[in-house]
Amino acid sequence: MPDAKEVIVRVKRQVSPKGTPYWEEFALPWRPAMNVIICLRDIAENPVTREGQRTTPISYDSNCLEEVCGSCAMLINGKARMACSALVDKLDQPIRLEPFSKFPVVRDLAVDRQFMFESLKRVKSWIPIDGTYDLGEGPRMAPETQEKAYPLSRCISCGSCLEVCPQVNDNNKFIGAAIISQVRLFNMHPTGAMHAKERIAALMEPGGIQDCANAQNCVKACPKDIPLTESIAEMNRQAWKQALVGWLVG
Amino acid sequence: MSRTATRSETDYLLRKLHSFTGVIPVGAFLAEHFWSNSYALVSRAQYDAKSQELQTIPFRVAVEWLFIFLPMLYHGGYGIYIWLRGKSNISAYPWVGNWLYTTQRYTGLIAFAYIGWHLYTERWLTHGKSTYTDVEDLLQNPYALAFMFIGVLASSFHLGVGIWNFLCKWGLAATVKAQRAAGALGATVGFAFSVIGVLIVLSFWLNWHPFDFYLK
Ligand code: HEM
Ligand code: SF4
Ligand code: FES
Repeated sequence: MPDAKEVIVRVKRQVSPKGTPYWEEFALPWRPAMNVIICLRDIAENPVTREGQRTTPISYDSNCLEEVCGSCAMLINGKARMACSALVDKLDQPIRLEPFSKFPVVRDLAVDRQFMFESLKRVKSWIPIDGTYDLGEGPRMAPETQEKAYPLSRCISCGSCLEVCPQVNDNNKFIGAAIISQVRLFNMHPTGAMHAKERIAALMEPGGIQDCANAQNCVKACPKDIPLTESIAEMNRQAWKQALVGWLVG
Repeated sequence: MSRTATRSETDYLLRKLHSFTGVIPVGAFLAEHFWSNSYALVSRAQYDAKSQELQTIPFRVAVEWLFIFLPMLYHGGYGIYIWLRGKSNISAYPWVGNWLYTTQRYTGLIAFAYIGWHLYTERWLTHGKSTYTDVEDLLQNPYALAFMFIGVLASSFHLGVGIWNFLCKWGLAATVKAQRAAGALGATVGFAFSVIGVLIVLSFWLNWHPFDFYLK
């Protein structure tokens, strides 16, 4: 650390989706328990670069500040991290902040994760319970299933698993680990299971589960410790059974 | 996007076919090939007898094309297509699985180039009647010898990693524990093939037949 009382932050900025990126450096007074969001707030309070140049506050997304909304994901020192849980004292300085590279930049560190939401829609990542009349109570879920489902339900759609995946890039519209894991979650639900085949069919469309190449970066990057590689393997088995054996045995 | 709009499973099936052909028949052929060639470890005559047996199977050309050449061309060709659609990022995320992802691509390409050359020298130039002496002569060239070692190691590594990939990607090893076991299996296969492959090459190079005591 250059000076124990100072925190140096370098931010990759971009004024608009099509703008050219540029870097700005800031020197902030150190405070105890500082995290990256606090740094960004401090910059917003006094948007002056390290060279003394006045600038604009940095755009970024954040909401919950406790790693449950998923909006603050960004590249911190080159790695996919949640800004609200990235403690300054544990980071090498200067701290480099960049927007995620696999999603379109809106401005500065804010990106548009619409691709993920479209994919969630594509695989029907919900449980239809509305009918034209009251459908009544659904079947109950076995405690054993609940225990498996709960960890999967913690996904915060942060996109870290897509960001670190070598198969997600401009040449390949792979939907990514989170979406596959969500299909597993909804197919595991007794009511959700009523649409299991449709979800699996959607998983086998171009950009689907077949594009996973087992690099297993997703499970390392996930801030919620979701067993993504298990979800992918499980859905892979269900998918090939449906595609290859389904026409034989139904 | 509605599901019916792009209801195409072709991409899915082609990808699964690539994965499957890696193990059967390409991986299975590699195993058979190492086994047959290990007769060199017994004696020159045993090797030539085994070669002749394989060179005179019924429907030879059809068997070769259907079970060896075409699957390999498909696996290799589609493998390159898969490679081009991925983007390695080991410098940012130097994790083991990520390293294997990248090396799987390079070893596949090396194996492809090697197998092409190997087929040209041992199948094409010898009109499918290659003998111990043909291989021995070829290996007197140090570049050929080096390429032989590289080809054997790249193929063995690629098959070992491939078995791990295959078991994970078909959901046959679904839990973390099972995937760890699949990794151990892949590593064992890769290591065993490397050792046996290197022994075979050494046998041709040094005219060395450790199992010739059978015949004494
Ligand atoms: C010695 C011959 C070869 C053998 C025994 C072999 C075997 C395998 C196996 C068992 C797999 C695992 C299947 C899977 O990923 O699901 C695999 C994957 C792969 N192979 Fe090969 N292969 C060979 C040659 C090649 C060649 C020539 C290429 C062309 C570059 C290639 C490229 C690939 C790629 C890119 C993958 C990974 C696919 C993915 O990640 O989804 N392989 N191979
Ligand atoms: S699976 Fe994990 S890394 Fe992927 S979006 Fe959900 S929380 Fe983020
Ligand atoms: S602000 Fe909600 S996850 Fe960081």
